[in-house]
Amino acid sequence: MENMDLESKSVHRDFVLPVDSEDKATKFRVYSVSAPHMRAFHLSWISFFACFVSTFAAPPLVPIIRDNLDLTATDIGNAGIAAVSGAVFGRIAMGIACDLFGSRLASSALILLTAPAVFLTSIANSAVSFLLVRFFTGFSLATFVSTQFWMSSMFSAKVVGTANGIAGGWGNLGGGATQLIMPLVFSLIHKIGATPFTAWRIAFFIPALFQALSAYAVFFFGQDMPDGDYAKLHKSGEKHKDNISDVLYHAVTNYRGWILALTYGYCFGVELTVDNIIAQYFFDRFNVNLHTAGIIAASFGLANLFSRPGGGTLSDIMAKRFGMRGRLWALWIMQTLGGLLCVLLGKVESLSGSIAVMLVFSVFCQAACGLTFGVVPFVSRRSLGIISGMTGGGGNIGAVLTQVIFFRGTRYSTETGITYMGIMIICCTLPIMFIYFPQWGGMFYGPSSKGLTEEDYYMKEWSLKEKENGFHQSSMKFAGNSTSERGKKVESAPTPIDGTPNT
Amino acid sequence: MASTPAIFLATLVICCSLSSSHAEILFSSLKKSLEVTVKHRAGVLMAGEDTLEIDWFLNKTFPAGTDSAYKTIKLKLCYAPISQKDRAWRKTEDHLKKDKTCQFEVDSTPYKSSNNKFNWTIERDVPTGTFFVRAYILNGDGHEIGYGQNTDDKKVNNLFDIQAISGRHATLDICSVVFSAFAVVSLFGFFYMEKRNAKASK
Repeated sequence: MENMDLESKSVHRDFVLPVDSEDKATKFRVYSVSAPHMRAFHLSWISFFACFVSTFAAPPLVPIIRDNLDLTATDIGNAGIAAVSGAVFGRIAMGIACDLFGSRLASSALILLTAPAVFLTSIANSAVSFLLVRFFTGFSLATFVSTQFWMSSMFSAKVVGTANGIAGGWGNLGGGATQLIMPLVFSLIHKIGATPFTAWRIAFFIPALFQALSAYAVFFFGQDMPDGDYAKLHKSGEKHKDNISDVLYHAVTNYRGWILALTYGYCFGVELTVDNIIAQYFFDRFNVNLHTAGIIAASFGLANLFSRPGGGTLSDIMAKRFGMRGRLWALWIMQTLGGLLCVLLGKVESLSGSIAVMLVFSVFCQAACGLTFGVVPFVSRRSLGIISGMTGGGGNIGAVLTQVIFFRGTRYSTETGITYMGIMIICCTLPIMFIYFPQWGGMFYGPSSKGLTEEDYYMKEWSLKEKENGFHQSSMKFAGNSTSERGKKVESAPTPIDGTPNT
Repeated sequence: MASTPAIFLATLVICCSLSSSHAEILFSSLKKSLEVTVKHRAGVLMAGEDTLEIDWFLNKTFPAGTDSAYKTIKLKLCYAPISQKDRAWRKTEDHLKKDKTCQFEVDSTPYKSSNNKFNWTIERDVPTGTFFVRAYILNGDGHEIGYGQNTDDKKVNNLFDIQAISGRHATLDICSVVFSAFAVVSLFGFFYMEKRNAKASK
C-alpha cells in the first residue's frame, strides 16, 4: 500500500482549480477551460449536446421528410419510438463501460460508432430505412451516463450536483437547438438552389460532422480522472477494480432505483417525447410554417439552459433545510405540477396560449429532471454508475411507452395525446411517496426510530470479507459526508467513531 | 411556485382561448358549377417531368348570371382519400380554412366561362400519392364561392398517381458512405494508438 502512495504522489500535479484529497475540483468555474477538470466539463457537455442535436434532427424536418419518403403517421410514430429506445440498454451498458474503460474511451467510441447512422440518414429512402437510422442514432443518447460519470470523477461532492446539473442541462439543450438549427440549415440549402427533397438530406451532414468532431475532441483532449487515464491508474493500483456482478446485484435489489427509473420516465421521458412531436404539432394544428414551428419547438428544449440546473440547485437548497425529505417533496411537487401543465397544454386552443403553457411546462418538466439527480447519488454509493444508468434508461423507457400509447398512428389526436400524457405524469409520479431512507425518512415518515445511520445504510452494500480488505473505505467517506441529508432541524447526531458498525 | 403567478397565467390562457370567429366558409356550401377535366400520360406520372393538361368551363345547366360574381380561378392539386389514410396532416375538413386536402397551388387566373386550358409540369416537391385537381372560384373579396373538380363527389374516378423524386444524388450517396467509413476506421485507429501508447509506457 505504501509503495503505491509514493507512486501516486509522484504523479500529483499543480491544478489550476483548488482540489480535495482525491484531486477532485472543489470549485466550479464555468468560464474556465483549464485541464483537466473544466476541460472535461466542456468536452462532456458539448459532445452530449451534439448527440442530442443528431437524435432530434429529424423531427423539425418531418413535414418535408414525410412527403419525400411517403410516411404515414404510424411510420413517423414508430421512428420516434425507435429513436429513444436504443438508449434504454445503451445507458445501462454505458454505465458498465465507464467502469471498465473510463468515460473518455467509452463516450468517444460510442459517439464515433453512431455518427455513421447520422451520415446515412441522408440516403434513407423508405419508412424502414428511416426507422433504422433514427434507431441507431438514438444510441448516442447513452452519453448522458458518461457525462454524469465523468463529472463525478472530476468534481467533489459539494460541486458535483452543480457540475452534473449543468452538464446534463446544457447537453439536453441540443434537443431544443436542433429545432432551430435544422430548419435554418434546410432553408439555407434550399435557397442556394437545392430542391426540398434534396435539401433536407444535405442538411443532415451538419449534425453528423459536429458529432464526429466532438468525439475526436473528447479522445484527444480529454482525460478520465484528475490524475490520468484509467489504463494507467489501474496498472498503478491507485484505482480498485470492483466486481461487476456485485455492483449489478446491489443496484438491481435497491427498490429506490426502480422507483426513480419510473419517475424519470415521466419527466425526462416526457421531455424526449415532446422533442419528437412538438414541431409537427405546431405546424399541423396552428398552420405556422416550418421555420416558426421550429422556433417554438426549440424554446421547449432551450429552457434546459437554466431549468434543469435550477432543479438541481433547488434540490440542494431544500436539502440544506429539510434534508432528503425536502429533496423528495420538491421532486414530487415540481413533477406533478408539470403533469398538470401538460394536461392544460393539450386543452389550450390558441397559438399564443399554447406557447405560453408550453414554456411554463418545460421549466417544471426539466427542473424535475434536475431534482431527480439530486436524489440519485444517495441511493447507492457502490453501484452509483449502474443506478444512474438504470434511471437514465428508465427515462428512455418512459419516452418509448408514452409515444407507443399516445403518439402513434391516428388513434388520438396529438392534443388529446398531450392531455393524457399529463394525466400519466401525475399518476407515475405518485410512487415517489414510497421512497424511504431509514436514516433520513421519506415524504410522509421521519427517520427510523431505531436510530439507523448513514453508515448502516451504505455499509449494507459490502460483505464482511470486502470490509476486511478495506474496499469499503470510499463508501465510508461518502456516508460521513452525507449526514448533511438530515437537514437543519436535527443537530449533529452522534457519528460513530470507529470504521466498522456493530451489526 | 406561488399561486398568484398561476392564477395570472390561468386568466391569460382563458382569454387567449376565446378565439374570435370570422367568416368561416364551408366546403359543403360551395356550388359545384365548374366542369374540370385533366389529361395526362397513362401510368404513374413522374414529378418534375410529366405534365397535366387541365381544362375547365362553366356547367351549362346552371342559369345564366350564376357567374356574375366570379372573379378568379385557383387550380389546386388535391389528395385522394387513399393518400389521406393515416396522415392527419392531409385531412379533409368542411371548414375551408382548416381543410388540408389541397396543398399544392397549380395556377391562379382570371375567370372565363369557357376556353380555359392550363399545362402544368408537376413540381419536384410533390410527394408520391394519388391525386385529383380541384378549381376554386373566388369572388372579388378573395372568398371561395364555387368549385369544380375532375373527379366525382366520392373522389373515386379519374384519379391519377404521381411518383415523387427521390431527392438522392450519387454525390450525396458517396459522401455519406465515405464519411461513415472514415468515422469507424478512425475509431479503430484510436484504439490501436491507445494500445501502442500503453505498451510504450510500460
